[in-house]
Amino acid sequence: MQKFMEPDKRMTAKEAIGQFVNDGESFVFANCLYSMPLALTHELIRQGKKNLMAFQQGGIEEIDQLLLAGALDRLALAYNFRAGGPRITTPLDRALKEKQIVVEELTNHTLLSMMKAGAMGYPFIPVLSGIRVSDVVKRRGFMGDQRFAEVTDPFTGESILVIKGYNPDFALMHVQRADKAGNGQLWGAMINSKWACLAAEKVILSCEKIVDTDVIMSSPHLTIVPAHKVCAVVECPWGAHPSEILGHYDYDFPFRALFFGSCANPEGAGAWMDEWIYNVADRREYIEHYISRFGQDTLDAFKAKSFKSVEADYGSTFSTDWNENGYSRNMGMNMDEFVAMLDEKGALIHGN
Amino acid sequence: MGTNYTVNELIVSRAAKELKDYELVVIGQGIAMAAGVLARKTHAPNSVILTEAGMFGIDPFKVPLHIADPTCSKGFTYSCDMIDIFTTVVNRGYVDATFLGVGQIDRYGNMNSSYLGDPDDFTIRMTGAGGAPEFVGYANRAILTMSGGTFVDKLDYFTSPGYVNGGNSRYEAGMPEGSGPTVLITTKGVFKFDPDTKEMYLAGLHPGASVEDIRKDVPWDLNVADELDATPVPTEEELHIIRTFSPEVSMGRKLQLEVVMNKVFALLSKNA
Repeated sequence: MQKFMEPDKRMTAKEAIGQFVNDGESFVFANCLYSMPLALTHELIRQGKKNLMAFQQGGIEEIDQLLLAGALDRLALAYNFRAGGPRITTPLDRALKEKQIVVEELTNHTLLSMMKAGAMGYPFIPVLSGIRVSDVVKRRGFMGDQRFAEVTDPFTGESILVIKGYNPDFALMHVQRADKAGNGQLWGAMINSKWACLAAEKVILSCEKIVDTDVIMSSPHLTIVPAHKVCAVVECPWGAHPSEILGHYDYDFPFRALFFGSCANPEGAGAWMDEWIYNVADRREYIEHYISRFGQDTLDAFKAKSFKSVEADYGSTFSTDWNENGYSRNMGMNMDEFVAMLDEKGALIHGN
Repeated sequence: MGTNYTVNELIVSRAAKELKDYELVVIGQGIAMAAGVLARKTHAPNSVILTEAGMFGIDPFKVPLHIADPTCSKGFTYSCDMIDIFTTVVNRGYVDATFLGVGQIDRYGNMNSSYLGDPDDFTIRMTGAGGAPEFVGYANRAILTMSGGTFVDKLDYFTSPGYVNGGNSRYEAGMPEGSGPTVLITTKGVFKFDPDTKEMYLAGLHPGASVEDIRKDVPWDLNVADELDATPVPTEEELHIIRTFSPEVSMGRKLQLEVVMNKVFALLSKNA
């Protein structure tokens, strides 16, 4: 099991994806709907990564964009937003019909349970057995029988439904803040983040802001991913746009409508991909382009107002047993008396 | 003096009446969330709303875009994750009611939100299962709404369990005793489920709808209650709450996309 122990993993999205993503690997989005790692996803597309397998809990635009780029050939999926009615053919519809990808249908709970079992190092985990009547369980996709099974509960003798654990090669994740070692902190909708990032062999992390480790030390309850899981930390303001992230910005619905409107036909979708992914170098250029197209005021309208969490006080006396006068609070003696006591009791070994 | 309302507003107003005070309810987005909020602002102020994403006790001031949209509420009371919701809350039986929007439904309230047409040669892929199978499977009651979906004899894909093959088959398959869909509210009427056979029957009519008209939408020989309830028209107070909270629900997805796209094109031409 590879651990990532370097104290400073800061790099650009281009460096992170270039260094840690290989064609043919499996990955999971360690956010779902909320705070989507779209800057990292767009970099994956720009670098022309191929034959990837994605675990997607629930998504809005990222799966369609990866499919338009031809980056995926396998998709384990619970939910994907669909814009428009039956007359519209989406990029996912087209990719499935043209056999560009194979799919494995799951539910939100069972997909995340695969990640949870994988994260915990368990071979499988029980799920809610009643859904055995659903075609999600009965029909099989590219994973075949390596997904659901019925086992006998050793305590009751009843048959229960279980799902196999899985460890994707990497996770893409976006959070509010992280330190340079990669301790990442997320708040808002926690949804799949903990289990998805812990299931992966490595986590490529982007954040709105890099902070001092002191900030992390004073708020460890917010840390969703520990540094040893993280191979790269990318500071990337607006890294989740057009999705939302508390304390920074709301979702941008009109921008999403523009993407889905463009997707009505392959030409429109291609033009959108050129304009917003291929023709910009990174997220900074993407935002600059946004401002030139829609105006600074349009972007500013999505910026969050502040609603700060009341601080959890992680304070203590911060003192050892020895007080400011050099006396122990527990033993009522100073250091000299302590050493003399050790000697008197025969606990000290006299060296040469 | 008539009240003017949209069909979605009528569905929201009727669905809100299905919630009782002091209930714990799982709600997603759209019509369902509007109904939950309307209930909290009228007859069910002590109900607690949570979403699948782990946001417990939200107090939404606008309709969330999706189940994990925390910008809909100024904070919430308990932040957990999706595994916690499905196990410690749903599986332990704490959920009184859940709402679900329907794509395709059969006579026993089983639903399809995955594929239209043969899954191997489909017409469209809908959203997929999401959380629907476990929520409808394990919540005490499921309140179903359908604004664009269809009744079918046989589902193209069986995503979420209603009463499976009727009778006790749902409980024999492992779902909690007594659980299941209790009501389906469509654009034309209200349907309920027979306590023994678990087959759906027509229980109420919306203003202007007729039994004959509804029969045309249903491919099986639909049972109809001896006395049909008349769905009340939304009050001015309800309409004010719904429109303030969610104009997008009032107008519906199709009209919303049209209105927003017009705004985008206006912005693009201004900055061209």
